[in-house]
Amino acid sequence: MSEKNERLIFDVAYQPQVRTTVDTRRLMSDVIVAMIPVAIVAVYRYGWHVLVLMLTGMASATFFEWAYRRLLHKSITIDDYSAAVSGLLLVMVLPPQTPWWMIVIGTFFAIVVVKQLYGGIGKNFLNPALAGRAFLTASYAGTLTVVIIDGTTMATPLSYLYGENPLPFTVAQNFLGKIPGSIGEISSLAILLGAAYLIVRKVIRWRIPACVIGSVALISLVCGHAGYGRVEWMLHNVLSGGVMFTGIFMATDYATSPVTRWGQAIYGIGIGALTMLIRCFGGFAEGCSYAILIMNLTTWALDKACHRHQFGVSREDIAAARAAKKAAKKEAV
Amino acid sequence: MNKILKLAIVLFLVCAVAAGALGFVNNLTAPIIFAQAQAKTAAAFASVMQADGYEEIEFDKESFPTVDTIHRATNGAGHVVTSTFSGAQGNITLACGVDPDFKCTGISVIEHSETSGLGANAASTAEVGVKFRAQFVGQDESIALSNAGGSIDALTGATITSRSIAGAVAESIRVVKSLG
Amino acid sequence: MNPKKQFTEGLITNNPVLVQQIGMCATMAITTTLFNGVGMGLSVLIILTCCNVVISLIRKIIPGEIRLAIFVVVIATFVTIVDLLLQAYVPALSEALGVFIPLIVVNCIIIGRAEAFCQKMPVGACFLDGIFQGFGYTVVLIIMCVVRELLGAGRFGGGLIDVSNGFRFTLDGTGAGIQIFPESYGASILSLPFGGFLTLGVLIAVMQYALKKSELKKAALAEQAKAEEEKEEDE
Repeated sequence: MSEKNERLIFDVAYQPQVRTTVDTRRLMSDVIVAMIPVAIVAVYRYGWHVLVLMLTGMASATFFEWAYRRLLHKSITIDDYSAAVSGLLLVMVLPPQTPWWMIVIGTFFAIVVVKQLYGGIGKNFLNPALAGRAFLTASYAGTLTVVIIDGTTMATPLSYLYGENPLPFTVAQNFLGKIPGSIGEISSLAILLGAAYLIVRKVIRWRIPACVIGSVALISLVCGHAGYGRVEWMLHNVLSGGVMFTGIFMATDYATSPVTRWGQAIYGIGIGALTMLIRCFGGFAEGCSYAILIMNLTTWALDKACHRHQFGVSREDIAAARAAKKAAKKEAV
Repeated sequence: MNKILKLAIVLFLVCAVAAGALGFVNNLTAPIIFAQAQAKTAAAFASVMQADGYEEIEFDKESFPTVDTIHRATNGAGHVVTSTFSGAQGNITLACGVDPDFKCTGISVIEHSETSGLGANAASTAEVGVKFRAQFVGQDESIALSNAGGSIDALTGATITSRSIAGAVAESIRVVKSLG
Repeated sequence: MNPKKQFTEGLITNNPVLVQQIGMCATMAITTTLFNGVGMGLSVLIILTCCNVVISLIRKIIPGEIRLAIFVVVIATFVTIVDLLLQAYVPALSEALGVFIPLIVVNCIIIGRAEAFCQKMPVGACFLDGIFQGFGYTVVLIIMCVVRELLGAGRFGGGLIDVSNGFRFTLDGTGAGIQIFPESYGASILSLPFGGFLTLGVLIAVMQYALKKSELKKAALAEQAKAEEEKEEDE
């Protein structure tokens, strides 16, 4: 027998090789469950009308998903709850005084333009809920860039931190959510409860949220600010605004975040760094949603740059293949 | 060589005809365009201040680089300052009237290239523009947008345009103050 | 070339913006009020027609090597003439469109038609081509203006229509338009450049969908006719 014929033969079956009971519907239900503490805090702080807003968001997002796919004779995908989750997430990042019709417009943009026009679940390149928020903020800047509670305009912690007046909240108040802010972003405690549930249920992994929150913490710790202690400034920066909520619930969106380990790390750090840049130098008080949208756009490149090599291929093989490719290119020229 | 000469001649002839046509049209329209520009400036001056005549005066251009000209009203109603500064898209040229108490008597946008339907409303003759400009009457140099603690409501979707106009009005009042 | 076919080409099957996809910059930039759209559309229509006619007239004496240079000179001349005339006689439009009138010089529609059509066609056909292509362009601009103005500001006919003292057209661009719902409800992002991209993208998609559908229909009809013919032959 010649050496050439001495090969191992693998028995290869068609994918999937591993079957689990985890499907999109279970993942999405888990996300909704994880938002229950956040929703409870929101209802406690702002009253029952925010619950109505959340239901409006979920219902209208589901309706638009159904209507679009029905009109274009595509398979109906509303029973995986992904549209409902997008609708709910959109409401969570809007201020409590948002009128219901704005939420309907926002979910229309999020579901029809951002998600369905690009092919539906898994094929969108931007986070639908954040794109919906960006659309609404650009359209109704007057209504949505402030927080109004019971008819009075309240200044959010971030507008104090980067404004002239000293912050009237303690770190503990900020952590528990005794501050004005977007519906889902006020209580870091409730958000962390949800995050713990998601990580235990293996819906999200810790890497992206840790990189987002960690980089915001590190940058604010290093930079500091006059009038605040370094650690105090760091804690306020992490707890205020959307870093916690969007870092955990939005930056981890499967379709719009990298799958490679290093890709996820760079993605998370990019979000944190951009958030701090927008906070310090930008025109808006909070830049978290824009930071995530910008990093969404880099996802494909990050995955491409950080992809892992096939199983069984050594570094030397890769280097040789690369050199051969280069030589071939040179010859062609 | 012959070929190149031919190409050159054809191109030259086409250009000559084009230049002739343009010269003719320019001759025809130049006086009208000039008269319109003058009428526009005069209208802008009249809309910011009641005066029968103006005389141009000198000022410290180095300290106030955005200010173009200052005209003093001959009837003592104050000064009209024109300034050019950057808005959201390009430069905005603004006429601003300043009375002897250093209060703004009115503003008028002479030239701009702001976004149509948003920033361009600052110069619009429609209600939204008239309302926007009316807010400036009676303001002093501490003028600011309402979101920065002042009393000027920004145009919808055009905060940058509104802010830069408010800034220019403050600058105009300051330059008149500097005249003493 | 028959005029009827040219008309459908300019308006639908070979529409400059939606099918050839040229001249899109100004299409997205200026379509915020109906006044802008109509003004821009008519300016392009006039310039396109003049350029088409002149280029067709001199097509036999233009040497191939320098044809683009000559096209550009002709186009720039007409654009400058229209620009000067607008400044002198319709200053409101000139102000509203600003730099986009001079920019017609580099609008692909005009040089595209010159290159693709006028350098081989007689004057009559070129004249009609200018009118119909310009008309197709204007129609697209008007659709974009109506959509963006309505959804962005809740208005129809801004600058062109005034209803404060009974219905009248305002050709000096001062009309406030008809307010259909309060401006504060409009998604003002549609009046921004983003809205231009979005509206144009959706329009192009709808157009391609319709064209594909009509093509399929035509193919099905042709097949049916063929089948029937064969059947008859068999009998």
